[in-house]
Amino acid sequence: MQDVARQHSLSALRARIAAIEKRPLLAGAAGSDSKQARHPARGWVTLLAPPAGLLHEVYADEQRNGSAALGFALGLAKGLLTPERPALLMLQLAHAAQDLGLPYGAGLSGFGIDPEALLLGRLANLPELLWAIEEAIACRAIAAVIAEVLGEPKALDFTASRRLSLRAASGGASVLLLRHGQTREASAARLRWSVTPALSLPPPFDAAAPGSPRWQVTLEKGGLPQRAAAGGNTILVDWTEHGFAPAVDDTADHTEALPRPAPSGAAPAALGDRLSQAG
Amino acid sequence: MRLVELDARASAAGLFATQSLADARALVPNLQVREIDRAFLAASFADLADWHSCASPLVAVLTDVSPYGDLGLDIAGVSHLFGGESEMLQRLCRRLTGLGIEVSGAVAGSIGAAWALAHFAPGQVVEGPARDALADLPVAALRLDDARIAGLATLGLKRIGQLYDRDRKALQARFGALLLLRLDQALGQVEERLKPRLPLVEHYAERRFAEPIGLIDDVLLTAHDLAVRLSSDLERDGLGAQGFHLFLYRVDHQVMTLSVNAARATRDPAHIARLFSHRAERLGGEYDAGFGIDMIRLAASHTSPLEAAQVGAFETRDGAADLDRLYDRMASRLGPLAVVRSKFVDTHIPERAVKLEPVLAKTPDDSRARPDPALPRPLRLLPAPEPIEVIAAAVPDGPPRGMIWRRVRYGFLRASGPERIGAEWWQFSGLLAPNRGVGEPPPAAKTYVDGRFARDYFIAEDDGGRRFWLFRQGLYQPEAAPAWFLHGFFA
Repeated sequence: MQDVARQHSLSALRARIAAIEKRPLLAGAAGSDSKQARHPARGWVTLLAPPAGLLHEVYADEQRNGSAALGFALGLAKGLLTPERPALLMLQLAHAAQDLGLPYGAGLSGFGIDPEALLLGRLANLPELLWAIEEAIACRAIAAVIAEVLGEPKALDFTASRRLSLRAASGGASVLLLRHGQTREASAARLRWSVTPALSLPPPFDAAAPGSPRWQVTLEKGGLPQRAAAGGNTILVDWTEHGFAPAVDDTADHTEALPRPAPSGAAPAALGDRLSQAG
Repeated sequence: MRLVELDARASAAGLFATQSLADARALVPNLQVREIDRAFLAASFADLADWHSCASPLVAVLTDVSPYGDLGLDIAGVSHLFGGESEMLQRLCRRLTGLGIEVSGAVAGSIGAAWALAHFAPGQVVEGPARDALADLPVAALRLDDARIAGLATLGLKRIGQLYDRDRKALQARFGALLLLRLDQALGQVEERLKPRLPLVEHYAERRFAEPIGLIDDVLLTAHDLAVRLSSDLERDGLGAQGFHLFLYRVDHQVMTLSVNAARATRDPAHIARLFSHRAERLGGEYDAGFGIDMIRLAASHTSPLEAAQVGAFETRDGAADLDRLYDRMASRLGPLAVVRSKFVDTHIPERAVKLEPVLAKTPDDSRARPDPALPRPLRLLPAPEPIEVIAAAVPDGPPRGMIWRRVRYGFLRASGPERIGAEWWQFSGLLAPNRGVGEPPPAAKTYVDGRFARDYFIAEDDGGRRFWLFRQGLYQPEAAPAWFLHGFFA
């Protein structure tokens, strides 16, 4: 009984601190019930559905991995869509379209995002892009703004990211900055993810074909729940029709993981040694 | 080279149009000559015409005889604002003369009569039928070409009055229907209308300044005041508008136009004013007030009925309205093409199947064009497919084992495909050929038969888990290796 009272006062304190700092509370950071806590990936499940109004940075360490980062960011953004906030806005500099590729409407529906929901903004320069992010998060119908920034521009310094972070907290829309490269600058982002693509699990009936997207996601900054942190801050995530699903080793007990396609286990013998995570 | 236009001093020196330049130089050694730039003259004259829309809403350039030089104003219902017809004519002419422009004008009941009087008996105001006033004018006053005027002259028909009682059939047989049409138009027996240069607006608000203003901030403040007035005007008629145009009339007879468009009909003055201030930020160096602006007009276009909306208590929060306002703000600051949506087009060719369409110019969706969800499509598409070198497949039509893209080598572990996308032979143009040169003739129908423009798409995954969408252009031929391209990336 005393334990419950302590939990309550702790969460009340957390809420007060969050209010002072003007940042939303991470649901996963609060105490969760014991059944959920048993699975090492459970903390991640709550973390992969973060609350709205946060500034995220999603890093791809190489530019050629940019579509994995986009896929992961879209996955996060999809969780933020509500009937009141039905739209996502993706911002990109117009001259970077050929370097990175444009989001493709026909592919979005296959990915699980309604192409109607994603608007694309094509900007001429970075000041315009920052202006557009601020305008968009002030709009009550936008769930998330995904902005792709190449390189480490001066205009996007700590002050700018702090500003975006405060605006996001007051506006209630999340901002996902897609960045590329190995260097990390100081930023006010609440969560910083690093995404690299991982070899996918082949679909059940065709061992030679690529399967559904799988990423290796590292949480570099942000409140990782203690229990999840025990398993390291890197996780292998599958993207399924139900959303994110932690990809766990076949040896481990994964009955509590979210539904995902069953592994066929029929990888070609020649490739077997490279497909360690596929089993 | 020949003379085309002369000023008064040149005519006084005995020069005339159509004279050859060499003769003119012999007569007047210190003659100043410039080559005529008709397009520039027509454009500047059109500017001058637009500026006159501060006198009358219906302004046109009369292009029957020459593309510039004749300005027509419909002053029905506005002349009393200037103290009557003759006073208005004098004031407009005086203003232009003050600027050093040679001008002559007349007021009459028909366009033809006014043109004739302005050219051959200027300064008159003729009310009612112009039959008597025109009788003594030369036939050139009927806006005829030189051949017809010369033909009439050989018959001894030099004045318009001589045509009144002529046999119409004989005149038509000899000079065509145009002569009779022009005669009837001048006499007001056939109606002729001005083609207004600016769209006619029913709803507008304007303000004149005692002293010209120049600062853009003043202009925007005025725009806000005008928006309040325009908004109450629209509200009275239960209307909202999607297009708003700010006309800035400069004292030096130029008009600047700022236009903004809204995603949905609105009459919210704060919103309209904000759109203009965003639009003004995009102006940058384009804004030039010259010697000042002495009148500003805010006009609404594309009006449609708009119900009164509940604000404050019991207001319904409508996310769609918020989104539309966001589009408006972004489009006015960043340009109308900045925010786009995916619109599906009914075609198999991937780069044409999705069109990026400005959200402000949304067109209805084609339900047949929705993509087939069973077909794998990448998350990102390269706007132009990039050529790659491939490491040859084990079997000719199979997926490649690797590729070199942007000078980096990738080895593929898994691949699926092919998905063949044939050329749309019914379209009859080589749109599917990414390497088609500019001047190259479009391929004939038979080239579709041999499969040169067919694409075979593969999904390939490399050892790092990157999933690519690549295609082979054309079929394997014994003589030439087909080209490979990278077209997109899966997540």
